[in-house]
Amino acid sequence: MNAPAPPFARFAFSFLLTAALPCALAASATPAPAAAPGATPAAKPAAAAAPPCEACHGAHGEGMAAAHVPRIAGQSADYLKKQLNDYAAGTRDNPIMANFAKALSEQQRAKFAARYAAMSAPYIPQAKPPIAVHLARGHQLAFQGDEAKRVQACNACHGPDGVGVPHAAPYLAGQSAEFLASALKAFKDGTRKNDAGELMRSVAERLDDADIAAVTGYFASVDLSTH
Amino acid sequence: MAQRLKEVDVVVIGVGMVGSIVAKELAAAGYKVVGLERGQTRFTVPEFQSPAVHDELRFDIRKALMQDNTREPVTFRNQGSQVALPVRRWESFLPGTGLGGSMVHWNGQTYRFQATDFQLATRTRERYGKNFLDPDVTIQDWGVTYDDLEPHYDRFEYLLGTSGKAGNIKGRIQAGGDPHESPRSRDYPTPPQKEHFQGAMFRKAAGSLGYHPFPQPSSNLSQPYTNPEGVKLNACVFCGFCERYACEHYAKSVPQTVILPVLLANPNFELRTGCQVQRIDLDSTKKHATGVTYIDAVGRVFEQPASLVITSTFAINNIRMLLLSGIGKPYDPATGHGVVGRNYAYQTMSTVASFFDEDVIVNPFMASGASGTLINDFAGDNFDHSGLGFIGGAYIGAVNTNGRPIQYHPVPPGTPAWGKGWKQAVVKHYNHTVMFSCHGSSVSQRQNYCDLDPTYRDAWGQPVLRITFDFPPNDIKMAAYVTAKAVEIGKAMGAKQVVGSPRKGPYTVTQYQTTHNTGGTVMGDDPKTSVVNRYLQSWDVPNVFVIGASNYPQNATWNPTGTLGALTYWAVDALKNKYLKNPGRLVSA
Amino acid sequence: MDKVTRRSFVTTVGAATVAPASALLPLTAAAAPAKTPTTAEPPKTTYLFFNAAEVLFIEAACERLIPADESGPGAMGAGVPNYLDKQLGGAWGAGERLYRSGPWQPGTPSQGYQLPFTPAELFHASLRAINRELDAHGTPFHDMSPEAQDAYLKSLESGAHDLDGVPSGVFFDMLLKMSIEGFFSDPVYGGNRNMVAWRMIGFPGAYADYYEAIDRHGVKFEREPMSLAEDGHRNIHVRQDIPANL
Repeated sequence: MNAPAPPFARFAFSFLLTAALPCALAASATPAPAAAPGATPAAKPAAAAAPPCEACHGAHGEGMAAAHVPRIAGQSADYLKKQLNDYAAGTRDNPIMANFAKALSEQQRAKFAARYAAMSAPYIPQAKPPIAVHLARGHQLAFQGDEAKRVQACNACHGPDGVGVPHAAPYLAGQSAEFLASALKAFKDGTRKNDAGELMRSVAERLDDADIAAVTGYFASVDLSTH
Repeated sequence: MAQRLKEVDVVVIGVGMVGSIVAKELAAAGYKVVGLERGQTRFTVPEFQSPAVHDELRFDIRKALMQDNTREPVTFRNQGSQVALPVRRWESFLPGTGLGGSMVHWNGQTYRFQATDFQLATRTRERYGKNFLDPDVTIQDWGVTYDDLEPHYDRFEYLLGTSGKAGNIKGRIQAGGDPHESPRSRDYPTPPQKEHFQGAMFRKAAGSLGYHPFPQPSSNLSQPYTNPEGVKLNACVFCGFCERYACEHYAKSVPQTVILPVLLANPNFELRTGCQVQRIDLDSTKKHATGVTYIDAVGRVFEQPASLVITSTFAINNIRMLLLSGIGKPYDPATGHGVVGRNYAYQTMSTVASFFDEDVIVNPFMASGASGTLINDFAGDNFDHSGLGFIGGAYIGAVNTNGRPIQYHPVPPGTPAWGKGWKQAVVKHYNHTVMFSCHGSSVSQRQNYCDLDPTYRDAWGQPVLRITFDFPPNDIKMAAYVTAKAVEIGKAMGAKQVVGSPRKGPYTVTQYQTTHNTGGTVMGDDPKTSVVNRYLQSWDVPNVFVIGASNYPQNATWNPTGTLGALTYWAVDALKNKYLKNPGRLVSA
Repeated sequence: MDKVTRRSFVTTVGAATVAPASALLPLTAAAAPAKTPTTAEPPKTTYLFFNAAEVLFIEAACERLIPADESGPGAMGAGVPNYLDKQLGGAWGAGERLYRSGPWQPGTPSQGYQLPFTPAELFHASLRAINRELDAHGTPFHDMSPEAQDAYLKSLESGAHDLDGVPSGVFFDMLLKMSIEGFFSDPVYGGNRNMVAWRMIGFPGAYADYYEAIDRHGVKFEREPMSLAEDGHRNIHVRQDIPANL
């Protein structure tokens, strides 16, 4: 792949080398996958094969905004599983995630997806809150869209207040603005193309940088953790 | 007192799909075009956005996108001997209004007619003899052939980006398409939409009986597409809110998503909304239009002079426009003379419900307006009608478009209409039923026609259109025949219970049966039996062109919109290359 | 009336905001399936259109048309009388989308509704006549046994009564039709409370992207139904002023 590794990759490698691996410890509590009849038993013990999710995605799945690592706590299990499968298959391009995903069986990927879907993490406000005009523009794109740019409302698919719609679209509310922006840009420039029906590419290619800053800053500011 | 405005080259009455195409082409050719639309502007953003637009009560039940029936209704009766009464609530057919017209709320089902349809009278005589038809049936040839229209069908489908699989490309039958179709020059612009479970079940069953299932051609696109006008559409997500709704995704081909961005950007075109055209004005000879008179939203009366007038107000409104303007001789069923209002036809719809056990999960709510699977084995003249006593046919398909529960909650016959038994049946069958549609042709007959109502008036004080219509016996026989065939397919699907509901008379306006009103301003070669010539030019007033399904001498098996798009481009071609270069009669009477 | 905008749907709190039993949800409410709402007593309806005598008939009658049973709540649990009350008391009741000019003739069945009454007028006239008739001749409807209620409703349905000029079959048809609407419409309109009717049949509601799910032939679609009027906390903002036009 020609795309440069995303910024978090270098950051994450140092974590891998130096940090404890709580995710791996947790993983050892899950039974090792049963060997299929006739298959060679897994050569490595389960603990060593488990990826260090917390290292980048945080102890509660809250992500690491500055490194463009997404919040995945409470994310749709469907969506997480699809991303892991896509990483493994190469239909979503990310060398770090690909390594982790390939090391897991499809069953294990489903388990990790379910685990993170069941987590909850506190809302983390943005380090730099968006300016008012961005919030207003982001709100407009979220609820209405933009006819001149032929962009529909994000919430039409992503749910009320960007809360996500199971089996359809992941949540955007409270997601890191940096991650959302890198995702939109990747859809726009074609480096990410695992969106069914090119639904995200169709939207992203019509947004300019100001729109992307606005809509991502807006969604990052949506705090649904309290009523 | 009417205020007379500055003359323009062209007035287009009604800025729906037809009006948008004509206006765009003529404005692009350098003419000054004014589009008069009685409704308001609306666009994908904000008017069509969801979730607000996914409101069944508002759009389905209460007809929020439809022509304002409180101010502009029609009246209806089955027989000339009855008194026509107002259609006080739309149900049977749902005319649209506003920028983009009826197409904003269509289902995207995009068909071509077959070659035979354009010469139906001749072909029927040739194949079955001249005494085959009921004497009251008044089917006619169109004055154009399929070959005349083929390039224009192609152009319209590529404007829309229609998703489908060709069955016949230049005479070579293509696997996976409809082998009965007349030849097309190339495949559809985008591949077929995904097939839903019902479609897959239908495909298997119909194939097992030796029929030829193929994917429904859909203008709810299967993938992103940029049309020749440079306008881009997105992929449809099968939300199941297609007909009667507007699409929030830029995925349904409607004027807003295929052509209006180009039209509205052209300074040669001026859109005026809230303008109710009262009539096309004629000079003292009554053979030349001087323009139109309209009333705006504030109640002011204007005369808009123009050299050329196009009426593209939707089929039934076109008929009324000519009658109110005194263009063409109104049809009188008693004498059989006259042409305006003659040969009104509709669509003959039957259904089949196949009920399954609760382990068969249908998910009816996942569908687009045109993501079905169907067969044409019993459509048109694709089968031998010898001895059957009728002409015409139906396409049969698993073409259900939605699972919206106020209207869609199928239950077997014998289920009570309410109470515990009803509720239990609804729960038991909602997600375990496959509905087929038998979408049937509609012959014209001398008793079915339109004229101006003698009693009821619209809010502007003008007589409303009166529709006199009942199903011709021909079509009732056709419906019984095709429904029986459809029931066999339901049985071949392995359903526990299959119930056919063939269309029976009398026709009622209280039940939805398509908005495929046709006829009344019929096209043809003979001014005694047509209102417009083959170029859709009025025989009586050469600077008036009438474009709509009102031009159809009878209605064929398939939905009219695809053919109307082809006729529009055909007429535009005649306007640009013949008429406007040398105004006058294009065909000698 | 103000044009209803898309934005105003979700940002305006309507007259009645219904919070589901599980109000405190994790950040991403939709990921963890919300608890099925309890079948506790439905909130009391504040009637604005029906008077007290009409309420007694309507509540009892609707519950016979769509009764509570093992599959779930009926008309009362779903708030169908509330829906009727608010719709009849609003623009729809006043004749929205109804061509109201005369002259009037009964017409043939093919010609549909031909009475001069708006829905509001039709309901008031019919209910007045029904209550008067039942008061004079025996038990009021709400005091009858369910079997007797069903028998009476069937007699209305068959057109056996003239309700001060309204053929009872016309009234019954409108009552049934609007009850089904109140049961299955989006909860924004005050019926289908907590989307009980949608849960009952498995209709997912107003959020409807099925691009990937449509490939899973024959697989049950497991998702909480979603209203067009819910916010990110699953509160439904009911409103009474949605017009029958764009």
